[in-house]
Amino acid sequence: MHRFLLIALCAVSFACQKSADRDALGGKKLTVALLPKSKGNAYFISCKKGADTAAKELGVDLIFDGPTDPDPAKQNEIVENWITLGVDVIAAACENKEGISTALRRARSAGIKVVTYDADALPDARDFFVNQATPEGIGQALMDEAAKQIGPEGEFAIITASLTAQNMIEWQRHIEAQRAAKYPGLKMVALRPCDDKKDLAQSEAANLLGAYPNLKLIMAICSPAVPGAAEAVKQAGKAGQVKVIGLGLPNENRAYVKEGVTQTVILWNTLDLGYLTVQAAVATAKGTLTSGATVLTAGRLGEIKVEGDQIVLGKPFAFTRENIDEFDF
Amino acid sequence: MNSARSRWRAVLLRHESVLLALLLAEILFFNVAGARFGSLNNAFDIVRHSVEIGLLALVLTPIILTGGIDLSLGSLLGLCAILFGKMWRDGGMPIELAAGCTLGIGALAGALNAALIAGLRLPALIVTLGTYSLFRGLAEAITRGVDTFTNFPPVLLALGQERFAGLPAQGWAFALIAAVVWLLVHRTTSGRAWRAIGFAPEGARYAGLPVTRRIASAYVLAGTVAALAAIIYTARVGQAKADAGTGYELLAITAVVLGGTSIFGGIGTVHGTLLGVAAIAVLNNGLVHARQPREVAGMLTGALLLIALTLSAAARGLGSRRG
Repeated sequence: MHRFLLIALCAVSFACQKSADRDALGGKKLTVALLPKSKGNAYFISCKKGADTAAKELGVDLIFDGPTDPDPAKQNEIVENWITLGVDVIAAACENKEGISTALRRARSAGIKVVTYDADALPDARDFFVNQATPEGIGQALMDEAAKQIGPEGEFAIITASLTAQNMIEWQRHIEAQRAAKYPGLKMVALRPCDDKKDLAQSEAANLLGAYPNLKLIMAICSPAVPGAAEAVKQAGKAGQVKVIGLGLPNENRAYVKEGVTQTVILWNTLDLGYLTVQAAVATAKGTLTSGATVLTAGRLGEIKVEGDQIVLGKPFAFTRENIDEFDF
Repeated sequence: MNSARSRWRAVLLRHESVLLALLLAEILFFNVAGARFGSLNNAFDIVRHSVEIGLLALVLTPIILTGGIDLSLGSLLGLCAILFGKMWRDGGMPIELAAGCTLGIGALAGALNAALIAGLRLPALIVTLGTYSLFRGLAEAITRGVDTFTNFPPVLLALGQERFAGLPAQGWAFALIAAVVWLLVHRTTSGRAWRAIGFAPEGARYAGLPVTRRIASAYVLAGTVAALAAIIYTARVGQAKADAGTGYELLAITAVVLGGTSIFGGIGTVHGTLLGVAAIAVLNNGLVHARQPREVAGMLTGALLLIALTLSAAARGLGSRRG
């Protein structure tokens, strides 16, 4: 047995020796490592598409890797591998805020720049957060879209995930603020929770249609509620008569949007999010974006506002019958 | 001369030797194909990332030797992680005391498996399938699936993230447990009893072995070490959440079987398990350095298992034909 040990030791020392004379990764080209929450998620694949465009424009190498199984420690392991690999900058969408921050801090102390996108880490674990949408932006976009659909007067109802979820409360607060300021003729007649479930959203929407005959629009602010409300409106034979808008994903609403049951789905443009993330990552790595900056010049997106340590993608994006086929997530 | 040669051949044809050759082939391959694979830092990454699964694989070895199985270890890791966090944060315990209590909880959970399997002689597969759901369910119920424990003190985080005497700190803990389990399996009467039970449980009983006690001890040991793995996991990731260790039991079983332990019991070694853990860990890490997509890792782990089993069966055939 000890003969084998000897062979093993020889091999390992050989291994160490060999890598010593090969240090940097493929010359001077900057390497950006993009970490999604999970790798197979169509949302992140769509982000990657935008990221690829930016990487090509900027002439940098892009590594895209993320967990494929539900092990919450996987993101950490990937980041730690990247530290050893010696990438220049890491852009992470964080599944576990506190957990991943441990690994990201290590990366920073190893001299790697870190930006986060989609879901932030703890502030001391990254240089910048590319924020896809502020609650204010989302609230305003939803309310503006509602007014665009039904005009200055009429009744509408909101279906939410739950009456206590923090993000829902915040969005709704901004919806109400925008309504009071710009569309006082519009009246919110009901606010119903659906427990983040499509079938419950559908029955709530059906109830609303029965209870409020003058209802002109249903606004669904959690993603399962958008197709849920659309299905109820469709089954009631009120497609087009009662409009449906909401915050959701293109794929699960595509059929309803094309049929004209759902008018608009609001979200951010994932292609732009990936694009901006790589732009921000490269600018941070090159030192052209440092703390205190107020603006980032981001290729085709032009000048992007930087607020503190957050880079804000800007206005949410409206998916409609005209453009929804450009997106697949 | 002749006997020396045949002894030499017997060593070469052993499963562990085949596996060692595969491991070396992996190392050489990734050293050529992957950037910075051979660096010391990367070796440390491999150690850090494989300690928890390695610990579970180590203590699964005696269990599988007895012809048993424990599917609950990954779930127990999750339960111990959140109880550890809860005792420290909500119970106000010092971190060392909380760690000690966590080990005790692990031992108790192991004792529950042991009582049902060794005491009531229920099938291990079914008992641990039950505790697999029970432990994970408890962890989720206690945290309601959302509570996360974090901001652990530096002394704990050092265990998962810092070096101690040149090696990753958890590497020492792993080495200690590996030595203990190796000695237990290969140098004590317990080890011989575990094997004997795996070969023929009734025979072992008639031979006067304390079968119940020996089987029970394997499960209690496994529970305790799973709790240790939970503490190391928490220290490495810096957070304890109910989903910690999801799927680890299967990875650990894979490593044990890859290491040459027969799933029917009776045959197997601890150094084989260590090689199995290393072969899987190097594969997972090397693929990243070779810039291969992560999903390939699962595929290749499966292929590695099948290749190792086939080669070793072929080598055994060769050995018996000529020997």
